[in-house]
Amino acid sequence: MRQEGHWKIWVWRVSAVGTLIASLSRIAPAVADEPAVTAGYRIAVHGVSPERASCASCHQENGAGQPDVGIPRLAGLTSSYIAAQLEYFATGSRYDPVMSPYATMLTRVERREVADYFASLPVPEQPDLIPPNGATLDHGRTLFLDGDYHTGLLSCSQCHGSTGLGVGDFSPRLAGQSDAYVAGKLQQWQTGDLRDPKGSFMRSEASHLTQSDIAALAAFVSSLKGKEAGKP
Amino acid sequence: MKKSTISKIVLVTILVTYVATVATWKISGLFTARTGAFQPPPDSAIPAGKFGDVVRFGEQIFRDPATYAPQFVGNELRCSNCHLQAGRQSGASPMWAAYVAYPAYRSKNGHVNSFEERLQGCFRFSMNGKVPKLGDPVLVALESYSYFLAKGLPTDETAPGRGFPTLPEPPLAPDYERGAKVYAQNCASCHGADGLGQSSGGKMVFPPLWGSQSYNWGAGMTSIKNAAEFIRANMPLALGGTLSAQQSWDVAAFIDSQVRPQDPRFNGDIEQTRKKYHNSEYSMYGRPVNGAILGDPAFTPPAGTVTTGTDAEPFEAD
Repeated sequence: MRQEGHWKIWVWRVSAVGTLIASLSRIAPAVADEPAVTAGYRIAVHGVSPERASCASCHQENGAGQPDVGIPRLAGLTSSYIAAQLEYFATGSRYDPVMSPYATMLTRVERREVADYFASLPVPEQPDLIPPNGATLDHGRTLFLDGDYHTGLLSCSQCHGSTGLGVGDFSPRLAGQSDAYVAGKLQQWQTGDLRDPKGSFMRSEASHLTQSDIAALAAFVSSLKGKEAGKP
Repeated sequence: MKKSTISKIVLVTILVTYVATVATWKISGLFTARTGAFQPPPDSAIPAGKFGDVVRFGEQIFRDPATYAPQFVGNELRCSNCHLQAGRQSGASPMWAAYVAYPAYRSKNGHVNSFEERLQGCFRFSMNGKVPKLGDPVLVALESYSYFLAKGLPTDETAPGRGFPTLPEPPLAPDYERGAKVYAQNCASCHGADGLGQSSGGKMVFPPLWGSQSYNWGAGMTSIKNAAEFIRANMPLALGGTLSAQQSWDVAAFIDSQVRPQDPRFNGDIEQTRKKYHNSEYSMYGRPVNGAILGDPAFTPPAGTVTTGTDAEPFEAD
């Protein structure tokens, strides 16, 4: 499954070049005194360089991402979180072969603008997923809500909230993020970049997880609808 | 050396090794080699049947009292905010150690308390709520959960891991200003610069440390000593032991010098209430901070505010 996902990602990345060529004519110039969200829309959809596809060619204009290949959904994340990630990509404290060059191309103001744009979008409907088996989901739910005292794992809900909506500027929304993205990131946390001081916390949490724990958590997180507590 | 002496030594060595090995086998199921603390059972060991159901209900209350026992809860704290890992973590007042330490005499109310009566105190003070009557299903469930966690542990008021690890007096007297800096650097990103906690989707995630939704002036956590010990061992979450003892005392003094709900034992006179219940260098109740007296009803939120309307008749202990 996971390998198939990887394969898809690369096919997709190559095909993005095609999208790029198609979108070349649409690159718009910067406009003085433009509101941040509008400026962000221009960057997100039209890009800033004729040599690169726009953000929207991967993350979609509505910020839904590409769940099946693990391209994250940006709609639903806070502007400060998205801007911080772009900053990490640009400064090298978080590395990704696709994202790092993109973030470097943008100025700090543009990173903030494009973050404002994606953060302003309504959370799109989740695609109909084939539900994972009940035992996997139950295992994921237990780890997410209760942690595991015997391995030292704290519950994910301790920082991301019991409905996975995240906490303001502190922790990102996880509810409804794609299975493939969440699993990939949890694997990366075990050895990858720390991003910021909170990264050492995430690494220590991820170090308690087995491959089947990761699969279960990813399945559970992607199944969360992100409802407010006490609302249907 | 005589042959018989050598054989005696060999025999004694074998015997000692055997006893040690057997003892290790016996104990290793219950205690970890690393901390020496008791290992409570996992949730998967909760038995099937009616008793197991009540244990599970107790754990649900413990993790989310506002949902499972709203008639008794007056703030946005959870039991598991301080009793970490849902009452399992040693050094964070684990419930298994508390369970085997009762009944016990408490100077706080001057008589021998049953375990259930001890739990009542948590609702009255730490949860700023109403006290469930003895025998209330909520208390029975919490008692059952604690019993389940303590299974295999002998009764002992000094079980290793009980309460918080004691902290020696700091080199410098705890200081509000230094504490404010420690707070800003280490605590504010989770608990908020205003100390009022942070929520996700309408549910509190990082507990409020002061203000109307935190523990009231009667809670044990208002003792700077208790707070310092808890912080030193357990905070920031999962990074316990990273603050120095001095930092822990300072930040505890800062947190326990803030506005919080009234002591439910308040008799209308701050000075008298301080003398009777807060006569300790570790309590800031009744002391001036930033030009105001802590506990002054003019700006102190009320005690025991349970807004959920239910049929339960609240019962005030002592």
